[in-house]
Amino acid sequence: MKYQIVIAGVGGQGAVFLVKVLSIAASLAGQKCLGTENHGMSQRGGSVSCYVKLGDFYAPAIDEGQADLLIALEATEALRNLHYLKPNAGTVIVNATSEFPEVAYKVYHTDAFSKARNKAFPIDALNVYMLGFTLAKDPNFPFTCKEIEQAITKMNPKLAEKNINVLHQAINDAKAKA
Amino acid sequence: MKQTLMGNDAIALGLIHAGIDMVSGYPGTPSSEILANFQKYKHHFKLDAYAEWATNEKVGFEVAYAGAIAGKRTCATMKQVGLNVASDALMSAAYIGLKGAMLLVSADDPGFYSSQTEQDSRSFAKFARIPVLDPATPQEAYDMVKLGTKISHLFETVVMLRPVMRVCHAREICEVDEGLSVTPLEGNFERNVPRWGAVPPAGRFRQGLEQLERIEVIKAWNWKELIAPKVAALKGEKVLFLTSGTGDGYVREAVTEQAIKADVLKLDMPYPLPKTELEALFASYAKVVVFEESYPCIEEQLSSPKLYGKLTKHAHEIDEFSKAKVMETLANVGIVKKANPYQSPKFTGELPRRAPNMCPGCPHRDVHYAITDVFKKEHAICPSDIGCYTLGLNQGAIDTILCMGGSVSMASGFAVADPKKAVVATIGDSTFTHSGVAPLINAVYQNHRFVLVILDNSTTAMTGRQTTPERSNPAQVDIKRIVEGCGVACHEYFYEPELSKTIDFVRSLKTAYEKATGPVVAVVREFCVLDKEKVEGQLGRAFVEIDQDLCVECDWCITAFKCPPMHYDENGKMAIDPFLCAGCSSCLDVICPVDAFVEKEEV
Ligand code: SF4
Ligand code: SF4
Repeated sequence: MKYQIVIAGVGGQGAVFLVKVLSIAASLAGQKCLGTENHGMSQRGGSVSCYVKLGDFYAPAIDEGQADLLIALEATEALRNLHYLKPNAGTVIVNATSEFPEVAYKVYHTDAFSKARNKAFPIDALNVYMLGFTLAKDPNFPFTCKEIEQAITKMNPKLAEKNINVLHQAINDAKAKA
Repeated sequence: MKQTLMGNDAIALGLIHAGIDMVSGYPGTPSSEILANFQKYKHHFKLDAYAEWATNEKVGFEVAYAGAIAGKRTCATMKQVGLNVASDALMSAAYIGLKGAMLLVSADDPGFYSSQTEQDSRSFAKFARIPVLDPATPQEAYDMVKLGTKISHLFETVVMLRPVMRVCHAREICEVDEGLSVTPLEGNFERNVPRWGAVPPAGRFRQGLEQLERIEVIKAWNWKELIAPKVAALKGEKVLFLTSGTGDGYVREAVTEQAIKADVLKLDMPYPLPKTELEALFASYAKVVVFEESYPCIEEQLSSPKLYGKLTKHAHEIDEFSKAKVMETLANVGIVKKANPYQSPKFTGELPRRAPNMCPGCPHRDVHYAITDVFKKEHAICPSDIGCYTLGLNQGAIDTILCMGGSVSMASGFAVADPKKAVVATIGDSTFTHSGVAPLINAVYQNHRFVLVILDNSTTAMTGRQTTPERSNPAQVDIKRIVEGCGVACHEYFYEPELSKTIDFVRSLKTAYEKATGPVVAVVREFCVLDKEKVEGQLGRAFVEIDQDLCVECDWCITAFKCPPMHYDENGKMAIDPFLCAGCSSCLDVICPVDAFVEKEEV
């Protein structure tokens, strides 16, 4: 299996956390995994894009036209990174309102900002919420909910319960909407 | 044992498993987590090891080097631009050699993600004539830490490990040792004046000759131990690709995915190269292409009409590698037909640029605003330095940035060259102790007239909040007293979120400057909003919103203050993003000319 994921967002939204969770999930599932994170300037509100490559890969960065999935924590960052997706075959999971423009990929959007504003979940769990939404929407996503739960627990047992609740809430929200 | 590790984590663990127990360095992206992670492992393994941040890279290098000549296994960590600072010491150490072992980790940043320049540390290793190892992945970085330590001990030389950003910040499931198997070496300095204290020309001349001999021996070792076994495994295709570090990953993926017939030879130690043996190898190939990041370090050591790369203009000369660039090079060389198989349509609509910006609530923003407000852009020159406050560029508050400590010496230069303008320099606390003190002494004794504002948030914020000398030991190291020790008074201000108070303070500096005959120096005692320990009780006076009936869209707040929550909403009026606002209230009373910023009722 080969599966490549781009995670895009703005510094501070927790994109790096998702890279960690996915690479731990890969190791728990006995898969090969190479990923990268962005540090430095990107902490200060700049654009952040991180990569996770599952399967037989040697270079940590994802080339344009190569990713299977784009998880975007913010709408403009989704658009900025669209061309990393495989033409006609990529999936976009994006935190955006219904005004997200028509693009040549399969797009699943959820307005997570509005939900957080209505106190449906704490804003600092936006990343986990989007991961839950991904689990519910992307049929090719290479991890099960169980594996993600285990990875979240392994990463930080103290915050695991809170994060897993948000994960499930996103899955339920996604199913309710469909 | 398998572990999911980030490259810098793998390097830190490698240091432990290589028996290194003295680590010194200066933070710099992408290298910073190495020392921090070593400290973490040190506690985990209950290791009696030294691992501290130095005031700059040269100091860090020298501490580690002294450890190594006293017979210990040591390491210095930095980023490529930091190596420039340490290079003075490195060049001498490369002549003299050592007893225990010393690994110099210099992390490169191809693609300039968080650096002023792209320079290739491997070229520096070549310049200094020390061996360099170039890992491609976290696993290799881990293995090469151990290999490098061994080579260092074997040949009594400093060995460089050069991971790039895509190794430092890559994550991989790595195979690592379990527990601790090596015992640290006891330090024991043996006096040997002709070696450690040799004075030019006779002593150093001999060491220079020895260095040349040593590098020949290492070349032979590189061939026998690292290259020859790989050569034996080549398939005998018509073209040969020479790779190094991350270049290898891109090449290997492109070769498999595009079904290109080629032999790939990865050079783990790109300097020193066994030229004769490698060139002899070329005989059986039609073309040899070099893929390396970021300078032509390998290419410069070899010569053959069959050789293609950066020097022959067949490969890109700047920026990070990608598979698309590999294919482009191959097309240029005539190995594949043109056309980039790695291409997807870009979104063509307009997207807002998202420049890195200071955090909401950061005190630096207020100080920059106050300086431009009081001194006026048209009448002032504002040199600044390397750190979070560099992002004051977004506020239009900064005129020049050169290198660590450069703001102070440049302020001197501007004061001499353009005395009609006021010169107001800014520098952070960590940068000041790194290399701002020497130029301040220079300015004091030569009476250069400018204002220097030291922004003291007591942390090295930009690289992830590493501790600073003052933070660790405030009783002994105090910026105010350092300034006074340089021979000049130090104005002190304890930051408050009320912007008018910061402006008043800067006004008092202006008054002092008008009467001054030399530098006017101030320290602003701040905090970093990400610094949980210090920020307690300092932020959160009031959240704000915009009275949209009052807002006249004059752009002033967003251009001169540029706090991330400020943006235009659908109606073209200023609005504050409640998720981003830190509630520091700085923007409340002073900035808006029509007082459209108001305190938010409910939070
Ligand atoms: S990290 Fe700290 S110092 Fe840097 S911009 Fe943010 S608050 Fe300011
Ligand atoms: S109160 Fe004003 S200055 Fe402070 S974070 Fe919010 S928008 Fe920025």
